[in-house]
Amino acid sequence: MLTPLNVILFGVVALLGVGFYGLLITRNLIKVVMVLQILVKAVILALVLAGKLSGNMGLGISTAATVIVADTIVAVVGLALAVQVRRRFGTVDVPQISTLRG
Amino acid sequence: METIQYGLFLLGAIVCAYRAIVSKKILTAAIYLACISALVSAVLYLLGATQVAVMELSVGAGLVTVLLVYAVSVVGDDALDPASVVPKPLAFVMVGVVTILLGFMVFPAVEKNVDTSSLALSIALWKNRVLDVWIQIALIFSGVMGVLGLLSEKTPGRIEEIHK
Amino acid sequence: MAAILVSLVIGLPWIGSVVVWLAGNKRSSFQHTTAVVASVLTAITSLVLLAFASADAVIRIPLGASFGELTFVPDGLAVSLTAIAAVVGSLAVIFSVDYMRGDAQLGRYYFLVLFFIGAMIGLVLSGNLLFTFFFWEITALCSYGLISFYNDDPKAVAGGMKALIITQVGGVGLLAGTLVAFAALGSFQVSDLLKNAEAIPAASLAFIAFSFLIAAAAKSAQFPFHTWLPDAMEAPTPISALIHAATMVNAGIYLLARFYPAFESVPSWTMSVLLVGLISATIAALSAVIATDLKRVLAYSTVSQLGYMVYAIGAGGVLASQFHLLSHAVFKALLFLAAGSVIHSVGTRDLRRMGGLGYKMPFVRNVFIVGALALAGIPILNGFWSKELILEVGLEHSSIWAYGIMLFGAGLTAFYTFRMVWLVFFGVEREHLHYHAAGSAMRVSLGILAVGTFVTWLLFGGLNGLLSTTLPFHEIEHESLVELVTAILSAPATWFALVVVAIGVGYSWVRMRGFKFFGGGALQPLVDTAFGFDSLNHFVVQLFSKSAERLRATQTGELNWNILGIIGGLLLVLVVLWMGA
Repeated sequence: MLTPLNVILFGVVALLGVGFYGLLITRNLIKVVMVLQILVKAVILALVLAGKLSGNMGLGISTAATVIVADTIVAVVGLALAVQVRRRFGTVDVPQISTLRG
Repeated sequence: METIQYGLFLLGAIVCAYRAIVSKKILTAAIYLACISALVSAVLYLLGATQVAVMELSVGAGLVTVLLVYAVSVVGDDALDPASVVPKPLAFVMVGVVTILLGFMVFPAVEKNVDTSSLALSIALWKNRVLDVWIQIALIFSGVMGVLGLLSEKTPGRIEEIHK
Repeated sequence: MAAILVSLVIGLPWIGSVVVWLAGNKRSSFQHTTAVVASVLTAITSLVLLAFASADAVIRIPLGASFGELTFVPDGLAVSLTAIAAVVGSLAVIFSVDYMRGDAQLGRYYFLVLFFIGAMIGLVLSGNLLFTFFFWEITALCSYGLISFYNDDPKAVAGGMKALIITQVGGVGLLAGTLVAFAALGSFQVSDLLKNAEAIPAASLAFIAFSFLIAAAAKSAQFPFHTWLPDAMEAPTPISALIHAATMVNAGIYLLARFYPAFESVPSWTMSVLLVGLISATIAALSAVIATDLKRVLAYSTVSQLGYMVYAIGAGGVLASQFHLLSHAVFKALLFLAAGSVIHSVGTRDLRRMGGLGYKMPFVRNVFIVGALALAGIPILNGFWSKELILEVGLEHSSIWAYGIMLFGAGLTAFYTFRMVWLVFFGVEREHLHYHAAGSAMRVSLGILAVGTFVTWLLFGGLNGLLSTTLPFHEIEHESLVELVTAILSAPATWFALVVVAIGVGYSWVRMRGFKFFGGGALQPLVDTAFGFDSLNHFVVQLFSKSAERLRATQTGELNWNILGIIGGLLLVLVVLWMGA
């Protein structure tokens, strides 16, 4: 009844849930970048699974590869931004990084 | 048998993810992130996407960990105020409801076990999805430019009044 | 050929607007010249376009499967309104050369005016509902920009905001009707809506019909949206003449006339249209009787005359309403421009301070009297023929009490018109005001419009021919001018109306003798709050501002709360999907 692919789908959903929880809880900008990584790993799993299920494995793995590249760039640029934020604001605490008034 | 393998790996990934989120120090969180990468990569290998698994392992457990360590070395690993902005029970309930609902909706979808031979990634990328390759190249280029631009700024003026 | 003409008639004013704007405010004579040239060329092109009217789309811009095609259809209704908009527009621009001389921000003024003319023409020529909505919104924007042109004056800004908000409510009605029509028919084309109106389920058709009625009422300042037009009189007078008398407020009438065949079968729609027109005509006429600001009297009279046009459509007389639209555009523009000359020279709009100006400004007095006679419906002038046609249609197709009230309105019109003329140009000078004769550009526009007031009724045959041959869905009979003249002169309705008008004039003569033209009496408190609707508007605006202030607390700007909002949205989507499955 519980096929292997079913298990993987549940795993994807659970990883997504944990990732959302992390986004809601964390106050540290670097942790935010990290949690985004967790979410993307779930997405990669889902893409490859979808490729396998629909028989179109080529499309699945090529999209997964593109997503890996994209999310790595996001992590790189996000961390560089975090470094800059630290230099300008003196902290990486998200609620305190704001110059908007009102 | 397969089910148990998948189940164990994924369970490990979820536990590692939770520990990564609640850990106080970022370096510990980075180690847990690397563990998640390894476990997910194993699942991918079992699914038949071998090249993607290798990419995932090298990037996730290698590159991202190094990046995080570098960032922490520059920024500093001070312990921040642990109280979160959104109250924890509310977050838990929201996420729990979404996850359970998604789980319900997803449950009956997977019935067949399609078996395909694993396709070489190089053929899939270069023959069918050439545009994807160009996009990746463009992304990498822009990311590198962005990082160079960001990190080469000498310390700009500190914004005072960060505490309101 | 028609395609080229259509592109020219919309493109010329738009190109002119950009050129004027880019020329910069230092070169004001170049700006004046360019604006006049652009608008006159547009007028000539629109008159040539009259010969090429056809019921088929002449320009088609395909937009893919979901939006259909953007089309321009130069049928009779469209080209007649185009000609009115372009010709009156060019005369208003010529008038502006004198009126706005020396103004510091000419570029903005002419840009908005020319942009508006192009958009109005696009609105009536468009054959695709979404395209019509696009032009509708552009006209609303230009109207707002021009009403609050003197943006240092808080009254002007307040008037502009009020006009914008109320006409945008109408825009929402138009969009909602369009989308429901698309959902029912699968197409945005106007011709499809007219063709397949019976195929739409009755509830949807009723929704579309009433949404379009709301859009038309808001745009044309009809009841219950009649409060914005009197306050829009803070605009420079050529703008009041162009936008708020001759073109933009006609967009609502156009909408009702265009879609009349599709909606006439909706139960109680025609009755609602008739009532809207009737109530607007009456309360505006009552308000004009006691108003003390010259432009406000003209604004109220515009609302009243538009009410006559809407009443005509409600009674089934599309041709009558279009004929009166033509006459009204000409004589109302004449009245506004003449009033503009007066205001420009004496520097005040208050009727209580004017008086006896006729001896000093004979030319303006004469053209103003011509316009006033047309407004009151005195024979020979164009207002007489079109108003009689409307009253005749009303007598035949609507109930007798509605006809009676409109007849009373005609009497009121005569009364307040005579009062206005007397208070400005005759009698004793109440205050020693500065005056100068009207400039030459002003005289040109006024002269042309005055001549027009005498002759445009002769175009009835042509108008009828255009409308009956190019509008396949409206059943308009082909009547020639001679038939019209004989029908009107022999109809009993005409004689009733003439008697009522005579009573109106006579009563005003009586009041003039005793000099009892001021003091509102019982009507004053009603009119001050626009029969209760100003307080309603105020209440609605307050409601929205208060709730917006309270809801501001949800926009914290913090990352975690925003993500909570995103997850909340995801939850909503999932619940909807789950229920649907």
